[in-house]
Amino acid sequence: MKLSEMKSGTHGTVKSLGRDERFLSRITSIGLTEEAPFQVVKNDRKMPVLVYVRETLLALNRKDCEKIEVAEVRA
Amino acid sequence: MNWIALLGQPNSGKSTVFNQLTGSRQHVGNWPGKTVEKKDGTFTYKDAKYTLVDLPGSYGLSGNSDEEVITEKFIKSGEADLVCVLVDSSQLERSMYMLADFASMDAPAILILNMMDVAAGQGKTIDAALLSKRLGIPVLPFTAADGKGYEELKALMEKELKEPHKLLTRPQIGAEESAADGNAKYAWIRTVLQDVTNAGENEYHLTKLDNVLLKPFWGKAATIGIVLVGFLAAMLIMSPFMAVAGMIPKVLGGPIAQFLTGLHVHPWLVSVFSLLIPNTLYFCISMSAFVFGVNISFGFLEEIGFLARAAYQFDGALSKLGLQGKAVAPILMGMGCTIGGACGTRVMDSWGQKMLTMMVVWAVPCASIWSIIPVISGMFFPAWGTVLVCLGIIAYIFVLMFIVSRVFGGKLVPEETRSGMIMELPPYHKAHWKYIIKEAWIKCFDMFKRALRTVTLVSVIFWAFSFSPSGNVESSLLYKVGTFIEPVTRFFGMGWRTFMAFISAAFAKEAVLGTLNAVFAGQNTVADVAFNATSGGVDAAALSQIMSQTISGAEALAFMFACTFSVPCLMALSTTYRESHSLKWTAKTAGFYIGAALILSCIVYHIALPFLG
Repeated sequence: MKLSEMKSGTHGTVKSLGRDERFLSRITSIGLTEEAPFQVVKNDRKMPVLVYVRETLLALNRKDCEKIEVAEVRA
Repeated sequence: MNWIALLGQPNSGKSTVFNQLTGSRQHVGNWPGKTVEKKDGTFTYKDAKYTLVDLPGSYGLSGNSDEEVITEKFIKSGEADLVCVLVDSSQLERSMYMLADFASMDAPAILILNMMDVAAGQGKTIDAALLSKRLGIPVLPFTAADGKGYEELKALMEKELKEPHKLLTRPQIGAEESAADGNAKYAWIRTVLQDVTNAGENEYHLTKLDNVLLKPFWGKAATIGIVLVGFLAAMLIMSPFMAVAGMIPKVLGGPIAQFLTGLHVHPWLVSVFSLLIPNTLYFCISMSAFVFGVNISFGFLEEIGFLARAAYQFDGALSKLGLQGKAVAPILMGMGCTIGGACGTRVMDSWGQKMLTMMVVWAVPCASIWSIIPVISGMFFPAWGTVLVCLGIIAYIFVLMFIVSRVFGGKLVPEETRSGMIMELPPYHKAHWKYIIKEAWIKCFDMFKRALRTVTLVSVIFWAFSFSPSGNVESSLLYKVGTFIEPVTRFFGMGWRTFMAFISAAFAKEAVLGTLNAVFAGQNTVADVAFNATSGGVDAAALSQIMSQTISGAEALAFMFACTFSVPCLMALSTTYRESHSLKWTAKTAGFYIGAALILSCIVYHIALPFLG
């Protein structure tokens, strides 16, 4: 599923970050990498998605989140 | 000798350390051939002089932006005798990424664990000694913003310059960049941090404040409310400075004039010393006070972490303009002062985004405009008309922003490089007031120095244009030039008088009423034209009578729109150049705004003419 489709409060791991080199280097340097576990803190309609990863709360643009493939992890 | 480079991610406190160490001994220039800012400064420790270079770049060094290439080249060249890598202790794993990127460069380094106060507040402990042993370089726990610990830092720098250390370990990555490298770097960070720090929470809970501020609708409303309060605070802060500065022309002008006249100095010189200089000084001080006030309140909002929330709120709206959430702070600051807004664009991720944000900020009328529009409008229209004029201006802001993004967006931020917001929401911090005030003071003083130079020059030009030996406006250069080009300006809806005021608006909005007074009422004193006359200095009733008899309502309306959306002011122009480091794009911006203002004036005039005659 896509990161943008995950519900607030759920956990997941990153499957694929897409192929855009520029995006890849930016998102990696801020903490999101393939296989990284994360929590979706808030995902409201038309708003950036708030993701908690590596002790950092990130706000990610909604369109970019549509390009990120993730798998939900149930506790 | 003694070159030290600072390296760190945004929010690592790099600029705080830089500013605290160098104070006002800073030099800002360009990296050779690039539009990237080069900031260096010096400090003295135990009689030895050290040069500090603030390295550009965002979160890592493996990207291909100009900033990252410059930084990589600089470190590899060995020009720096020591590299200080800064990390945020409260988000250690993430922020060590910069160190992981740096590791491949094999240069002498120290690691500064900044924001130890925030980390301690979250119950995190860091074993700096163990980390230092593993890395092979000194590790210093630090809190940059509280102003303490700098002696220790300097001592460490001195020692390391004599006996440098290099990293003992580095991530296992291939020769070519690849996605797997990111994982390898984080794996390395994990190994290095093993047992060094206690793990943070796996589960994040939004604070009560965030539960409100991040709500889609009410969060936006609260954000706007907080920003408005911020502006009120800014005005409170600057009002005493303004009041004192306002006394300069009044207190000094008379005695100087008397003294010089007594010495039989030429009246020309008398007016230079008694009117031009005190007024220029007053203008520069009040402008710097403005910058000071806006920077204190926005510095506060930034430091506590509020502006990042605002960016989250407005990312969606701003991406329609080809920008992203981070542009919200400069645009909001622009509502107070375009200069502040232009400076605020530093937070943007790329040069193109920064330039585009600056161009958009220009479309936002600053507080000065709002102080003159109601005055002028009130001369021609009833109160409800003035409300309509203001609403019209507000509506046009959005139109102009849209036009700017359409015209320049594609070039500055090409579709394929457009990246949405990727931003951390830092935990709420306590404000370090001393630091905020010091930062604002540095900016304000810098502004004062620049303003004094530029404004003096322009005041002289203005003054020369408006000087009239007979005291009558018709014998001034302003009149001659103005009437000569009137056939052209008429087409755009402005007669020579309003056109001259339109030109003066591009220098300083504060000069508009003075110029109007000079060209309409013929009260052609230097003081009026040279930036003196805010509404207090002008007899609004008398001016109103003459203006409404001389020009039509349509022309007044066209003039107000043209003034509002032209070049904001000379200092905004100069700041745009300084921030963009591009003469070409600064000229493009100015040219576009003047052209667009004239076209707007033309349209408004011809639409309004049948109704307002």
